[in-house]
Amino acid sequence: MKRKRLLFLSICTLLFFSNYKLQAQYKITGSITDERTSETLMFANIIIQNASKGTVTDLDGKFTLDIDDNSEVTLVVSSIGYLSQLVKAGPSNNVLNIKLREDATNLEEVVITGLASSVKRSNLANAVGSVSAKELVGTTTIQTTDGALYGKVAGVTVRSNGGAPGGGLSIQLRGISSLAGASQPLIILDGVYASNATQRTGRATVSGAGGSNQDDGSNRLADLNPADIENIEILKGPSAAAIYGTRANAGVIIITTKRGAEGKTKISFSQDIGDASPLRLLGTDVWSEAKINTFFPVARRPIELERFRKGVTINYEDYFYDNPAILSNSRLTVSGGDEKTKFYISGNVTAEDGTVKNTGFERYSVRANVDHKISKRVRFSFSTNYLKTETDRGFTGNQNNAGASIGYNIAYVPSYFDLRPNAQGIYPVNPYFSENPIAVTDHGINNSTVNRFIQAFNLTADLFQNNTSNLKATFSGGLDYLQNSTMVYLPEFLQFQRAQANPGDLLIGRQESFNTNIQAALVYTKTVGKLNLSSQGGMVRLDFKNSSLFNRGRGLVPGQKNLRQSNIQEINQNFNSKISEAGIFLQQEANFDDKIIGTVGIRWDKSTLNGDPNKLYAFPRASLALNIANFDFWNVGAITQLKPRIAYGATSGPVAFGSTFTSLGGTNIGGLLGSVVSSQIGNTGILPETASELEFGVDAGFFNNRLAIEATYYIKSTQNNIQNLNLAPSVGVSTTPSNEAELENKGIELGVSGTIIDLPKFRWFSRVLYWQNRVLLTRLGIPTYIAGAFGAGLGTFLYAEGYAPTTIVGSPAVAGNPGGFTFWGNNQPDFNASFFNSFNILKNLELSVLVDWKQGGDNINLSAFLADGGGTTKGWFEDSNGDGIPNGRQRDPAPHNNAGRWVMDASFVKIREVGLYYTFPKASLEKMFNGKIKGIKLGASANNLFLFTDYFGYDPETSTFGAQSIANNVDIAPYPTPRRIFFHLNFDF
Amino acid sequence: MKNILKAILIPAVLGFTACNPLQLDEVLDPNNPSLASVETNATKEQVQFLLTGLEASHRSYVVNISQSWNTFGRETWYLNASDPRFQTDWLGQAGRVPDRSYFGFGSTGGGSWAAPYQAIKQADVLISSSNGSTLLVDAEKKAVSGFAKMIQGYQFMIPANFVYENGIRIDVKDPLKPGKFVKYEEALNHIKSILDQADQDLAAAGSGAFPLKLTPGFAAFNTIPNLRKVNKAILARLNAYRKDWQGILTALDGSFMDMSGNLNAGPAHPYSGPPDAFNPLFYLPNAAVNTIIVVHPSMIDDATAGDSRVSRKFFKRNNPVVVTTDATPLSAQYQDARWATNTTPIPFIRNEELILLKAEAHANLGQTTEAVNAINVIRNAAAIGNYTGATTKDALINEILYQRRYSLWAEPWGHRWIDARRYNKLNEIPTSYDKGTIFKQFPHPQSEINWDIYVGG
Repeated sequence: MKRKRLLFLSICTLLFFSNYKLQAQYKITGSITDERTSETLMFANIIIQNASKGTVTDLDGKFTLDIDDNSEVTLVVSSIGYLSQLVKAGPSNNVLNIKLREDATNLEEVVITGLASSVKRSNLANAVGSVSAKELVGTTTIQTTDGALYGKVAGVTVRSNGGAPGGGLSIQLRGISSLAGASQPLIILDGVYASNATQRTGRATVSGAGGSNQDDGSNRLADLNPADIENIEILKGPSAAAIYGTRANAGVIIITTKRGAEGKTKISFSQDIGDASPLRLLGTDVWSEAKINTFFPVARRPIELERFRKGVTINYEDYFYDNPAILSNSRLTVSGGDEKTKFYISGNVTAEDGTVKNTGFERYSVRANVDHKISKRVRFSFSTNYLKTETDRGFTGNQNNAGASIGYNIAYVPSYFDLRPNAQGIYPVNPYFSENPIAVTDHGINNSTVNRFIQAFNLTADLFQNNTSNLKATFSGGLDYLQNSTMVYLPEFLQFQRAQANPGDLLIGRQESFNTNIQAALVYTKTVGKLNLSSQGGMVRLDFKNSSLFNRGRGLVPGQKNLRQSNIQEINQNFNSKISEAGIFLQQEANFDDKIIGTVGIRWDKSTLNGDPNKLYAFPRASLALNIANFDFWNVGAITQLKPRIAYGATSGPVAFGSTFTSLGGTNIGGLLGSVVSSQIGNTGILPETASELEFGVDAGFFNNRLAIEATYYIKSTQNNIQNLNLAPSVGVSTTPSNEAELENKGIELGVSGTIIDLPKFRWFSRVLYWQNRVLLTRLGIPTYIAGAFGAGLGTFLYAEGYAPTTIVGSPAVAGNPGGFTFWGNNQPDFNASFFNSFNILKNLELSVLVDWKQGGDNINLSAFLADGGGTTKGWFEDSNGDGIPNGRQRDPAPHNNAGRWVMDASFVKIREVGLYYTFPKASLEKMFNGKIKGIKLGASANNLFLFTDYFGYDPETSTFGAQSIANNVDIAPYPTPRRIFFHLNFDF
Repeated sequence: MKNILKAILIPAVLGFTACNPLQLDEVLDPNNPSLASVETNATKEQVQFLLTGLEASHRSYVVNISQSWNTFGRETWYLNASDPRFQTDWLGQAGRVPDRSYFGFGSTGGGSWAAPYQAIKQADVLISSSNGSTLLVDAEKKAVSGFAKMIQGYQFMIPANFVYENGIRIDVKDPLKPGKFVKYEEALNHIKSILDQADQDLAAAGSGAFPLKLTPGFAAFNTIPNLRKVNKAILARLNAYRKDWQGILTALDGSFMDMSGNLNAGPAHPYSGPPDAFNPLFYLPNAAVNTIIVVHPSMIDDATAGDSRVSRKFFKRNNPVVVTTDATPLSAQYQDARWATNTTPIPFIRNEELILLKAEAHANLGQTTEAVNAINVIRNAAAIGNYTGATTKDALINEILYQRRYSLWAEPWGHRWIDARRYNKLNEIPTSYDKGTIFKQFPHPQSEINWDIYVGG
């Protein structure tokens, strides 16, 4: 699928070549086919080595090339997705049938390395991750783009916050770069700075859980239709991402969408239909009279025994979490074009239910990508995407007193008590907690509706060109406008609401973000003999505007969801922010005959977020790759590529908005408005967080690149890490942002891939990835402290010099330990690994399996804590050590009262993706439909098919605090992760 | 073709030079005024906003103190099924003792430490803003600073009582150079000097209406003379902690104490509902919730028959609130009945307390008759008749402490905890209902210690 983009580039290049008048002396003709399947390859490139001349194959894979003298030539034959080949031709050897071998190891893929340039993977000096459309969504249908990246690139750790429909994931590239905030990678979508914010929904306000990080909101990458994506490139660290400067500390994810290709208009329609069910439920405990007599206080026992003797048993896990959930995705794409104009238009409707009643995710996407040649030298491209997503995520996770969480609530409800409504629709009062969760699930609303418009443009002009040099100007950029309307509604008749002075709670939010970016660059390329030089320079400008308004109404007229129908009307939040950034960049690349490839570059950035908004911060980079196997002296036939590489780069992470302000907050009391001194003193000297990274590794290809090995080691050091310096609270101000901390991440990334069996009727491709990261707080700069999660009693995190900030500590107190508590675990995995296998059988049948493995890394499992408190944990009343105290009141380690009880290993193996597809043979389709239908593909697939883990929870991947760099592993009554099974049907017209 | 190029590039270049894309405009806080805006040449309106802000900061302790200190003194339980630590940690179950980052207080001491100090800071900012303004006359400035210092005096008592013998910082003007911790007694003397200054400043502000707007919480006290009476009332409470019995009587003379007046008279924290907050202590009668402040069972068990305070303040629920945790289950039948609605103001010092302070001062000074007279005002108001017990000092003190339990029950101050500690009677607070322990005091919050480590090297 990487084909189309290079195709576009190469056609442009060739058209530029064809400007020159040619004097034919002899003609080379021939055809190009796939070595394994013998299918013809259209649009393959044939270029004469060391000359600016070539051609492409036609729709039947045939080509003709005129040579203007009688000398022998060497042709460089290439096609995207295939390994290029050198073929000799001459007047007597002018009919060529060339067979190309599939580039299973992606050596030939083009990777973006600058803001206006790209390089072939085989020449790359960085371990840039790349995921093609086929890898991304070719095996099964994933709801969101980030969810489709699991296990596909070494060093990319994706973590789901929960199983609610509509996303909610975090991506961590090479460990932790920031101690504060989410520290998520920058998303560049067709050159646009696309928002991946996790926006507030207000659920945590209404449920009382706390701050908006407990809303379990989606991250807005969920809006994007993954099927539109042609390719994703992942710049994992500063050494590759330096040219993005500010905002690139956590890495950069570059998403490129599909574009039209010259040729007949291609229409394709595909439909997935599927079903979701919980991947894993735990079961609940059975009750007995003996257990009731143990669990409840004496005064309470008679009523409980009476309830128990009614003989009802309800498995509330099944009741709430295992409901029929239909998944449907429809996609229509139309693409094509001519020499001047090409287009790709797509429409997508996704409608996926959640396994909890009244939850689900819908997405409507319309995209038009148009490329147009204004003249021979001026090209213009335009990518427009309108998106609408509607997410209903229900009520799960943390709460405080309001009871608006299924899992939190049912942790306390014994299976013999019936919460279901009676024949009149009246929900019984839940005597075990403050709410009837069935009533909340049936009548509560937690909806987020996003309308979004993303527009990218690119204008490229060839200003000057001759045989050996070319100067081109690009002007590009775009905008991302996002409007998110949220509603959280709990009707007045709910149990908890009736217990309030003003029953009924409605929180309506409107959030708007508007990002614009422009970039202007000049790129000059020059060939001096075997040396290719490319220089680029330019500027960027970014603007981000955000605003939010949340209004709350309490005391509602029955059935009404309008704020005016409430007794207590309140402006809950109104917040605006505006950020501007600007930068300049220069980059010089040099390639000596594909043997020695070096790059140096620098970017300077400034930002209104920084203490000094006019100071330019410099982000240099340098890299070198040696293609040893391309040197003439190389004669080890089995090793076709051997490339040691080294790269260095620096980036920065943005300062949080408002860090420089010392403000007076508004407050109302007794009918008057007051100004109160904020608890934060702004730091007007705040610096951005900076990171520098040294990465080195080796890429090797064996047996004509059938087998490839990629190994990388990196050391990423961050400086000026921002954390709040806590002042003595007695001065009346609590914090000021400081730049004291420093972090170090070291890691290894390994990849081995290859075609193990390569027969015409059977092909087996296999890929193994392994990565590990070790993070360390090398400098804290402020006194050791603990923070995050729910305090030392239940497990929290240690911030101490010489320790990983992912260290979990908790009660009991140990005076000698830094931070003063016992060490219980670490959230950081020992390693991650993935296995991908695909089998092509008889050309038409393809089976792919992706297995994802996380070893080590602990969670703080407070779901288990709650269920133990409510006596509902499966096996609660068993007594393993026979001391008369049930297990549910005696969790290890002894003395059974410490935080260590809830710190649990969260290793897992997941069968992430399985897909089986059958493609109807073209010839038989031709016969059957008389050419009306060009392709039919049928398939079945599964996402999250199996989970293997010892972890006691729905999913070892969970985060009640959503995406954040630390404390992103706390398990509180999450929405269970779904297993998704699909059938697929695809037609090409 | 060249023309097209020109047509595109020239405007682009011109556009760039006309509005330089590398130029960043200064971004001011779009959401809030800055502290700097009131530091010099503040307008009268700005001073007014800071003054109202001080009233808001002045009540930030209410929730935390009501929930926790009243639990420490077993006036109430704060039952919370969503987080068992409100039970296990606050009741000191299984031998738990407060540490520097104790549950509910965090590393800043939360509502019992950071919040009152924020009010003190707010008062400092208000005073300097008002004094630095050219738009207020001297009498107005004195009025503002007198009010601000009065609130500071009140607020300083909270951290002082929270950590008790560990002492507090009293020099807190420079956020980067806080002074050393001083002993409890020295801290109380410092508070006295603040309240004395407040009185002097108010005295210099004339005798008319307070020149700026106060919330309805001060409705009966918004003249300079009446605010001086509030200030003296606060001083009387302080003097009890200072064991300055004569000082109590002197202060009460200048206060709004009225032996025959409404016992509920006194300034209050207003709660008027959005955009203001609701009364945080209000719960609907019989609310089917399991997070609620309930009356400690000992209050019912120890009550005198016919005590009207019991029927007025304690509401008997149809169903008890039960919280089952992995420690002892707790069950409570009564909830707080003091608040008619969720916008009822919460008084922070009342005539009833002043009369009890008078009784306490006299009892300690051996002025038995005056002490019994004051006690009888309280007893008769509660419909339990005159005091007939012994009139030894100890007996009177016991009687006064008993009356304080019911008269000042669950006021946002933790009276019983502090009172029991004052008279070395912490061991008389019952723990049999919850198998907990009674705390004496808290250590300094971790952030205080951390700051000293940070600046110390």
